[in-house]
Amino acid sequence: MNTILSGERIVKSFGDGAERRNVLDGVSVEIRPGEFVSIMGPSGSGKTTLLYSLSGMDRVDGGRILFEGRDLSGMRDDDLADLRRRRMGFVFQQPTLLGNLDLLDNIILPAVRDDRRGTDRHVEKARDLMRRTGIAGLERRSVSQVSGGQLQRAGICRALLRDPAVLFGDEPTGALNSASAREILDILSEVNAAGTAVLLVTHDAAVAARAGRVLFLRDGRIDRELELGPPDGRGLEDRALRVSEAMRELGI
Amino acid sequence: MFARILRNDLRRGRLASLATLLFVAAAALLVSLAGTLGAELSRALTALLERATTPHLLQMHSGPIDLPRLQAFAAGRPEVEAFQVLEFLNVEGSAFEFGDRTLAGSVQDNGLSVQGRDFDFLLDLDGNVARPAEGEIFVPVFYFKDGAARPGDRVRILGREFRVAGFVRDSQMNSALSSSKRFLVSPADYAALRDRGSIESLIEFRLRDPDALGALEAAYVAAGLESNGPRVGFPLFRMMNALSDGLLIVVLLFVGLLVTLVALLCVRFALLAKIEEDYREIGAMKAIGLRVSDIRRAYLARYAVLAVPGALLGWALSFAFRGPLLANLRLFMGEGGAAGAPVLGLAGAVLVCLLVLAYVRGVLGRFRKLSAAEALRFGAPRETARRPGRLRLAGGLPLGANAALGVLDVLARKRLYGTMLAVLVASSFIAVVPRNLHTTVSAPGFSAHLGIGACDLRADVQAVGDIPGRAADIAAALAADTEVRKSVVLTARAFPVRGKDGSESSLKVELGDHSVFPVAYAEGRAPRSPDEIALSMLSAQDLGMRVGDRLPTAAGGGWRDLTVTGLYSDVTNGGKTAKAAFPGGESPVLWAVVQASLRDPSRSREKAEAYGSAFPYAKVSSLQEYVSQTFGPTIRAIGSASRISLAVALVLAALITLLFVRMLVARDRVSIAALRALGFRNSDLTRQYLARSALVAGAGVLAGSLLANTLGESLAGALISLFGAASFEFAADPLSAYLLIPLAVAISALAATAAGAAGAGRIDVAQTIRE
Ligand SMILES: Nc1ncnc2c1ncn2[C@@H]1O[C@H](COP(=O)(O)OP(=O)(O)OP(=O)(O)O)[C@@H](O)[C@H]1O
Ligand SMILES: [Mg+2]
Repeated sequence: MNTILSGERIVKSFGDGAERRNVLDGVSVEIRPGEFVSIMGPSGSGKTTLLYSLSGMDRVDGGRILFEGRDLSGMRDDDLADLRRRRMGFVFQQPTLLGNLDLLDNIILPAVRDDRRGTDRHVEKARDLMRRTGIAGLERRSVSQVSGGQLQRAGICRALLRDPAVLFGDEPTGALNSASAREILDILSEVNAAGTAVLLVTHDAAVAARAGRVLFLRDGRIDRELELGPPDGRGLEDRALRVSEAMRELGI
Repeated sequence: MFARILRNDLRRGRLASLATLLFVAAAALLVSLAGTLGAELSRALTALLERATTPHLLQMHSGPIDLPRLQAFAAGRPEVEAFQVLEFLNVEGSAFEFGDRTLAGSVQDNGLSVQGRDFDFLLDLDGNVARPAEGEIFVPVFYFKDGAARPGDRVRILGREFRVAGFVRDSQMNSALSSSKRFLVSPADYAALRDRGSIESLIEFRLRDPDALGALEAAYVAAGLESNGPRVGFPLFRMMNALSDGLLIVVLLFVGLLVTLVALLCVRFALLAKIEEDYREIGAMKAIGLRVSDIRRAYLARYAVLAVPGALLGWALSFAFRGPLLANLRLFMGEGGAAGAPVLGLAGAVLVCLLVLAYVRGVLGRFRKLSAAEALRFGAPRETARRPGRLRLAGGLPLGANAALGVLDVLARKRLYGTMLAVLVASSFIAVVPRNLHTTVSAPGFSAHLGIGACDLRADVQAVGDIPGRAADIAAALAADTEVRKSVVLTARAFPVRGKDGSESSLKVELGDHSVFPVAYAEGRAPRSPDEIALSMLSAQDLGMRVGDRLPTAAGGGWRDLTVTGLYSDVTNGGKTAKAAFPGGESPVLWAVVQASLRDPSRSREKAEAYGSAFPYAKVSSLQEYVSQTFGPTIRAIGSASRISLAVALVLAALITLLFVRMLVARDRVSIAALRALGFRNSDLTRQYLARSALVAGAGVLAGSLLANTLGESLAGALISLFGAASFEFAADPLSAYLLIPLAVAISALAATAAGAAGAGRIDVAQTIRE
């Protein structure tokens, strides 16, 4: 099968000695190009851990992770960094923008790192993204001069600037009110529709409903998988209901 | 609970804590040593001058003296308590034979003397007045250090054999800076040799009240008594004896203060990082009603735990270092046995400790300003809430992303980087200044600042008959010598002059062409025409003259006014001299100096020996030799000091930068984790830190070297003026002063940055992002 990112029997443990425990205990996932997948599970079930493992930000203790056919566990830190910078995008729960730079500079930073000559091109693209995410005009604002939702949008712009193959999000709407959250999710859906695979961690059934597939994580394993059909943004309420139902059944 | 917090803190900031402890100890050590040494020096020096009953006024005189007239003068002055004339039998260095070695190479005026009758005693190493029996000799302690003789050795002087009975401390002539050295023999031996050398009289006065020195000196001059030679007062004896150890104390204090400053910087870095880390917690503690003073006490306790043992350790160590440092002092001045010395040393250590704690209190002062609400809301001190500046990546900043991030960070947090800047300025300063001082004083031309024209060879003709004729013989020989580039004869004669206040005195004027081997003029220039004169600083002070003034002089059969064209520093001939270019006429010649430069200056030593044996009545020395013997120990000390300062500066730059970068990494760990999550490599982070340090180090090193070559020059000048040189300019080696040393400081800072930035690669990204 055609996959862009896959994890095979991933094991990740924390703690030492007797307290050592497998947070991920043989998790396997497969993400196809352009797919939209949500990960759900109780608090502490290892969702964030799985996301960091799949993106090569954290090393795993067992199993294999393949990104575009390359095994991450055999790669050096620098190669992992290059891969993240060039092929992946990240949106964290807390925006991680730098205080020394304004929003525009924050967005283009990773791109300028690789290609300073192309700064003008990056700026142009960043302005376009900012317009599409509704933060046009805030280019010169500093991190402390904009709202949380605006910061999150800037984070998305940064993640999208280089057309990543996969966009990772760890509760990107967790700290936002529902209106802002909806707008952000619309943007993610749009990005996904344009061909970027999206892997989203969330607690919220309405958020998960955006995906084509939902993975339920519990006790270090995928407990259940829910196919929702193509993520075309239609029938959202119905899909959310199905997710909630599954959650109830699993006792989440 | 406090104890636990304390332990955790100390363990976490291990490097900073250790550095603080060590710097406090080092500072306490240095300041304690300075205190101890100061107490010992003052005690020992006072004891020496008291036991030796050093004269308050000494007039040296070569030539016949009128003893009854001098006695009548002394009897007529109520302030004079005692008066005596001692003889100093000046003997050529080659006539002193210590085994197979002679003193021919010595630039000192070596001579024999008998023990003072009423005062001016030469003391043996036990502090008793030395009484040589017939056939015995006491050697100046100066040559003990030199290793020339040991007790029991046989010494031949002018062919007569002596047994070395011991060594003497000479309160007048101990120091290398004093140009004569007295060997003590029994009156019978002295009488036997008396007509074998030239006799100089030491006309000495003791006063009831030392403050009357000025009055006595004025009266002596006014009475027109014997004055063919330097005149020296009690304060100068004190000064000359205290100088070398005094300098050591000054240096110890200076370095001690510097190290204290570094300790304070370590404290500052550690404390600011800690406060930042605990900011939210402190706010929370305040919010739930804990008192600020409680929180402050917890922090203060942490530093008391470092500062008090540090200071005690430094003080304890000072006992180990006292011995070697006091060795010179004890040899030349004897045991001071100052009871207060260890106490003064402890006081120094306590002072350092208090300084550190007071500083901690000061830094903690910002707790009071911290508002609970603000701390909880922002989670970081507001002063570090940053704003982007005008420089932007999007604006086409001509830097790579990493360099730009580094530069922007420095610009955004100027206050923070200011501390590091200050350290690097200080480091370059202390690396460059002693180095420049050393190149300056060891440069061939430096003697010009001390009143000795820069030449290769110098022949002094003094205390013999027909001085001008003999000087002319030497000059003729030099003129015929193809190895000699040029030469000049200067003859000194005394002329009556009238000072500003109208009082008449006698001034020793060196006549001749002063443009051949010029001295360095502190002000003005050398005299050229016959109606011009240049004065030494001391003469000018005595006469109340300045450049451009007219000095009435009785020369060439009547009074005429000479224009003062320049002032120079002089450490020779008691420092009171003048230079002029008019013909000397009939007045008697006091001494003559023949100076010459060689085509091959490296031959000056051989030449000096050759001329010395060809003209035994002259004291011929190579200037280099003269300088190295007179100032050699000082120059060498400055040389080692400059090497030590360079090492200290490099270590300082590296250590402080390392601490600083580690603090930054700890502070910025969330941004670092974010950058790494976004795919920045560890080498990118290292580059960002290197860019920050390069900017700060570049500015610091530049400012430091500029300061060193301006402010440092004045500081060094003040130090040098202690030796009597008034005009001072760095003769720095530009390559090392402006390039190599600053570069070394910068490189050491950058290397430390790379080492410190490696910590950024060890941050657990997943963990930090999750927080
Ligand atoms: N460094 C660590 N050391 C020990 N345990 C850890 C560490 N990091 C995470 N854990 C544990 O691993 C488990 C999974 O953590 P993770 O953050 O992946 O959960 P999550 O599913 O994202 O939870 P949430 O929904 O609350 O964000 C938790 O029980 C957590 O306590
Ligand atoms: Mg999580």
